[in-house]
Amino acid sequence: MSDTPFLTIRNLHASVAEEELQILKGVDLELKAGEIHAIMGPNGSGKSTLSKVLAGHPGYEVTEGEVHFQGEDILEMEPDERSQAGIFLAFQYPVEIPGVSIANFLRTALQAHSEEELDLFDFQDLLLEKMELLEMDPAFAERPVNDGFSGGEKKRNEILQMACLQPALALMDETDSGLDIDALQIVANGVNKLKEENPEMTVLLITHYQRLLNYIKPDFVHVMFDGRIVESGGPEVALRLEQEGYRDWKEAEAAG
Amino acid sequence: MSEKIIEGVTDALNAEAVTAASQGEPEWLATRRAEAWAVYEDTPMPTTRLEEWRYTDLEEKLDLAALALGSAPAIADDPAAYPAEVREAMDADHEASGHLVMVDGHVVHTDIDDSLAAKGVVLSSLKAAVETHPELVQKWLATEAVPATEGKFPALSAALWTDGIFLYVPRGVRLDLPVRVTRYYAEEGVATFSRALIVAETTSQVSYVDEILGAEMEKQSLVSTTVEVVTQDGAQVQYVAVQRMGKGAFYQSHQRTLAYRDSTLDTLNVNLGASVSRVDLNAQLLGPNANSDMLGLYFGDEDQHFDHNTSQDHVSPHANSDLLYKGALDGKSKAVFRGIIRVHPGAQQTDAYQTNRNLLLSEDAVADSLPNLEIAADDVKCSHGATVGQLSEEELFYLQSRGIPKQIAERLVVMGFLGEVLSRLPLGGVVEKVTRAIDEKLHGPALLD
Repeated sequence: MSDTPFLTIRNLHASVAEEELQILKGVDLELKAGEIHAIMGPNGSGKSTLSKVLAGHPGYEVTEGEVHFQGEDILEMEPDERSQAGIFLAFQYPVEIPGVSIANFLRTALQAHSEEELDLFDFQDLLLEKMELLEMDPAFAERPVNDGFSGGEKKRNEILQMACLQPALALMDETDSGLDIDALQIVANGVNKLKEENPEMTVLLITHYQRLLNYIKPDFVHVMFDGRIVESGGPEVALRLEQEGYRDWKEAEAAG
Repeated sequence: MSEKIIEGVTDALNAEAVTAASQGEPEWLATRRAEAWAVYEDTPMPTTRLEEWRYTDLEEKLDLAALALGSAPAIADDPAAYPAEVREAMDADHEASGHLVMVDGHVVHTDIDDSLAAKGVVLSSLKAAVETHPELVQKWLATEAVPATEGKFPALSAALWTDGIFLYVPRGVRLDLPVRVTRYYAEEGVATFSRALIVAETTSQVSYVDEILGAEMEKQSLVSTTVEVVTQDGAQVQYVAVQRMGKGAFYQSHQRTLAYRDSTLDTLNVNLGASVSRVDLNAQLLGPNANSDMLGLYFGDEDQHFDHNTSQDHVSPHANSDLLYKGALDGKSKAVFRGIIRVHPGAQQTDAYQTNRNLLLSEDAVADSLPNLEIAADDVKCSHGATVGQLSEEELFYLQSRGIPKQIAERLVVMGFLGEVLSRLPLGGVVEKVTRAIDEKLHGPALLD
């Protein structure tokens, strides 16, 4: 872990692009390279929105604040440029792309990440290696992206993409949602293996539940409430939330 | 006192032209042309008041009176003399059982594998077949498949056709490689009437790929094609038409397929070029266990207009047909799909499906889809469905979030959408050619191959 600022989010405000609905109301967060952070919070607190805004989802408009990633202002960058810069978003609801095979999709993505012509055999070797690492059947690569996949398959496909693209920053949006305990372990193991392979990878876990944090151990845990980070600490914060929930903040909100 | 105005009779399209076309032809054919012309005169020009022409206004889209009959001379049967597009298309082809090249309505080249010729396979110009195989041509040309009485254009074609393609596969003969036809139209301001007659005898097998190319045209030309495909008991035929003509052309194709007992008769119509493209396709399921897959793909840009009018006639019980037409529309292009499944009385145990899906790539593109069912039997499985959708922001964001630039992401989604059609009839070379042609229409950097 180095001390250079890796991801700095300052006073970030964002709203749904076509409505005036403000969701992020001044998020401040700093991540250093190689750290694992978790953001927890109740439904509607804005934690998923934060991950989408960082990835450049066109449905949100940043109204105030700044985000620097490895020293670069990313807010003006297109989603594909952010990906090429090293940001990866594992989707809560991965999107189906009928008729496009995972292999073709990943090859196109890797080509976009590469300055040089991607060698087909190198690509196939990489894909097979990553599928083996994640204990996946090679036939999976020929299936159309997420089309007709089970919830678990979709999430594994996200991890496979992450493994191939080798991002510097992995944003994991509710990766645990909709997974039974077996699937959760498989996915968490995958993330841990990638982290082992590349210790410099920084991970931001967005989750509703403590249980994911039993498998992927965060260095820091933040609590998000009503569009802001309201508490930060170590893993103990997650354990306390598991006991107490978000009562304090809800009461404070009710009291105005 | 007023002279009767006969719709569609012009300075070029008239009874004298029919007589001229009949010169040197056997009497049966001259009679057939004359009868067809009489039907033409008696048939009113289709207008938008007719359901089948509601979305294609011929008054606006086709200036028949301005068209002459083609007079371009036949070019030499020498690849060096072929238009560059024809050479390129042929060079990109995989192996074939035989070739036919047609330029501005003239058949300039035919070849067929010697061993197939020895077995009685015929690939020739239709004109030549009138001489060499009169009994077959007389039996099938504009008779049971597309007679003149089918409508204004079929009548015009039967009266004024100049040449065409004749393919005959005798009983039990199977062609491992496709027959490839390459057609090219460049003459401006003319009407050209070409026909294709394909007869596959009992238990024979053949694939036929018709590639229709052409130059950009300043003055409109009508390229009319009538296609008749006969698949006898147990035979298997694949018919593929890939239309990539230049803008300015009006492409009109009237097709009918006759599928008898235990036969398989699959069709794929790809329409990418021309300014106006109108395809009428009727599949007749005439015997038990007859099977027809009917596939279609179109990609429009600028102000292109596509009109697909399909029908699936289940005359026999126990037959299957499955139609899938998919199109993507960019610019101000417009597509109409009108399809009907007709299950005739007594056609029990029919399985018939019909699906049309459209993907709009711009706000100005329009797709109208009108699927229909007409069922006169009670033990059948039929379904139809139509969708018109837009590129989804979520799909594009997902692809972009993996580093794929927006333009390439769009192309990936479009090709994924249309690819379903091609994957169901993956004849050697066609998938690659169509993919490349769509790529060119989408512009931008080339996709991975």
